[in-house]
Amino acid sequence: MLTAVRNQCKVIFLSIKYALMRELLNKTTFISNIIFMILNNSSMIVQWIVLFSIKDNFGGYTLKHVILLIGISSSLYGFAHFFFEKSFKLSETINSGKLDAYIVQPKNILLSTITSDIQVSALGDLSFGLIAYFIYGFTIRGFILYSLFTITGGIILVCISVILHSLSFWFSNADAGADTFNGMMINVSTYPDSIFKGIVKWLLFTIIPVGIANYIPVKVMVSFNPYLLLINVGVCLLFILLAFTIFYRGLKRYSSTNLMVARV
Amino acid sequence: MAVIEVKGLSKTFKVKLKDKGFKGSLKAMVKPKYKTVNAVRDISFTVDKGEIIAFIGPNGAGKSTTIKMMTSILFPDQGSIKILDFDPKKDRKKLSYEIGTVFGQKEQLWTHLTPYDNFKFFGAIYDIPEKAVEKKIDELKMLFELDEFINTPVRNLSLGQRIRCEIVASLIHNPKILFLDEPTIGLDPVVKENIRSLIKRMNKEYKTTIFLTSHDVGDIEKLCKRVIIINNGQIVLDDSMDNLKYHYLNKKIVEAKMKERVNLDDEDGITILKDKGYNLKIEVDTTKRSVADAIKLLNPDNIIDINISNIPLEDIISSIYQNKDQL
Ligand SMILES: Nc1ncnc2c1ncn2[C@@H]1O[C@H](COP(=O)(O)OP(=O)(O)O)[C@@H](O)[C@H]1O
Ligand SMILES: [Mg+2]
Repeated sequence: MLTAVRNQCKVIFLSIKYALMRELLNKTTFISNIIFMILNNSSMIVQWIVLFSIKDNFGGYTLKHVILLIGISSSLYGFAHFFFEKSFKLSETINSGKLDAYIVQPKNILLSTITSDIQVSALGDLSFGLIAYFIYGFTIRGFILYSLFTITGGIILVCISVILHSLSFWFSNADAGADTFNGMMINVSTYPDSIFKGIVKWLLFTIIPVGIANYIPVKVMVSFNPYLLLINVGVCLLFILLAFTIFYRGLKRYSSTNLMVARV
Repeated sequence: MAVIEVKGLSKTFKVKLKDKGFKGSLKAMVKPKYKTVNAVRDISFTVDKGEIIAFIGPNGAGKSTTIKMMTSILFPDQGSIKILDFDPKKDRKKLSYEIGTVFGQKEQLWTHLTPYDNFKFFGAIYDIPEKAVEKKIDELKMLFELDEFINTPVRNLSLGQRIRCEIVASLIHNPKILFLDEPTIGLDPVVKENIRSLIKRMNKEYKTTIFLTSHDVGDIEKLCKRVIIINNGQIVLDDSMDNLKYHYLNKKIVEAKMKERVNLDDEDGITILKDKGYNLKIEVDTTKRSVADAIKLLNPDNIIDINISNIPLEDIISSIYQNKDQL
């Protein structure tokens, strides 16, 4: 069991390394992708600085809290898209029959598939998130929490995408729905939760778990709360379970393809 | 000893039908219409250890679908498959350590990496220790003559070189059975020949059982002792190569462009298919007359252009249908 996990990790590591090597073939594009993403995300902060010069409190969030929220949202997005980029394009992999290659290998099909490519600009999101965290204020304990929330939040994001894209085992146009949903989550996650009310807020903490992945971390880091921390980790585990169950259920309906495809 | 046992295997696909144009697309979204394709219909066969089996048939016959069910990719609708005592449906991981797959139409290699790095990656996928992989790569490099390009990125290789690398990648973990789906598709005749002899050499060297699909008669003539022919999802013939050769492959088509007309009307072993003045198409029965002999009859000095080919697979299959009772 333990060796199996180690071997799986080795393949994932190699896969990411090789994808990174491909991206590094063009260093200028590689670096400008990252820098552009950092600048892009910074503009969000500038926008809030302007807003806070008018009013110094938005639903209980100060500027510092908003910076932390944007930082965490950006980090977990970067983590998800750097290591698991293919989970956001899973429908394409399924519909074009590219799962074949992973099915014939003695490794976990879902893990091998979603780690088979990286998104370079996600490194920009990750770095930006770290910068935002340092602006918020660094402590060792805070940093450990921050890293943990980046990982659990990132995994939740990945799992939701896997679940939605797995629907294309059943419905041929599931990918459009999945993209819309993912995009919506990202957009919502950079606004303080207190501006949302009623049913929307309820949705954010349940079906669209932005609340769990993004708002809870801010609350825990501002004032530590073990229950909220547990909810965050628990929901993450629950989503992992759900993603695997739904993906493997769908895989039985997988029909491959009779078209020509190449690995690029 | 049987290493592959297939019994009563069937698979259907549901294909969405769509009328032409925008209106058709809308209609298909609101109320989709489906068509059922019976890709594989109740087929059964066994393969023994060390055999090279050709699984042949025209495009769309169900060859790939059958291979995909045997390699865990597709779930069968009906029937059972046993590969080395594993059920592909239930024992995917265990089975994958024992088999290799090459899909001529799908590439499994990273194109920006060299074949060498790709092979190392496959070594990791199959949990083979570093040292053992390096040794295996060396060995396969010799057998498949990869020396020239083992350190050239895959995207810079020719199609034939790539296929050789695909085959080597599938052999890194010493599989007991190798599934090859159209390994020679799209290759020119010389490269095809080269791939065939390499496959043959590999079968000799490692005693690997080989299950090969093709829609090219040449592949089986050169490689196999036994042939299974599939058409419209059903097995129409499962026989030894010798038998098949005797009944169907002893005929060659000779097409020639002539300077002068020749008369071959009463020659034994020659059937005239087309005779349009200077363009001649004949069928030579090689049990009665060698191809060389037939060319002599035409008089080599008299030939402007000549083409010798096998009877197309489609024709062989339809003649098998017609002669089924005689076999
Ligand atoms: N993924 C798929 N979805 C729908 N139909 C398919 C699919 N794969 C194969 N088919 C159909 O099943 C039949 C057999 O296909 P296939 O096994 O690929 O044939 P072959 O490999 O002998 O050319 C064909 O009619 C083909 O169109
Ligand atoms: Mg095919």
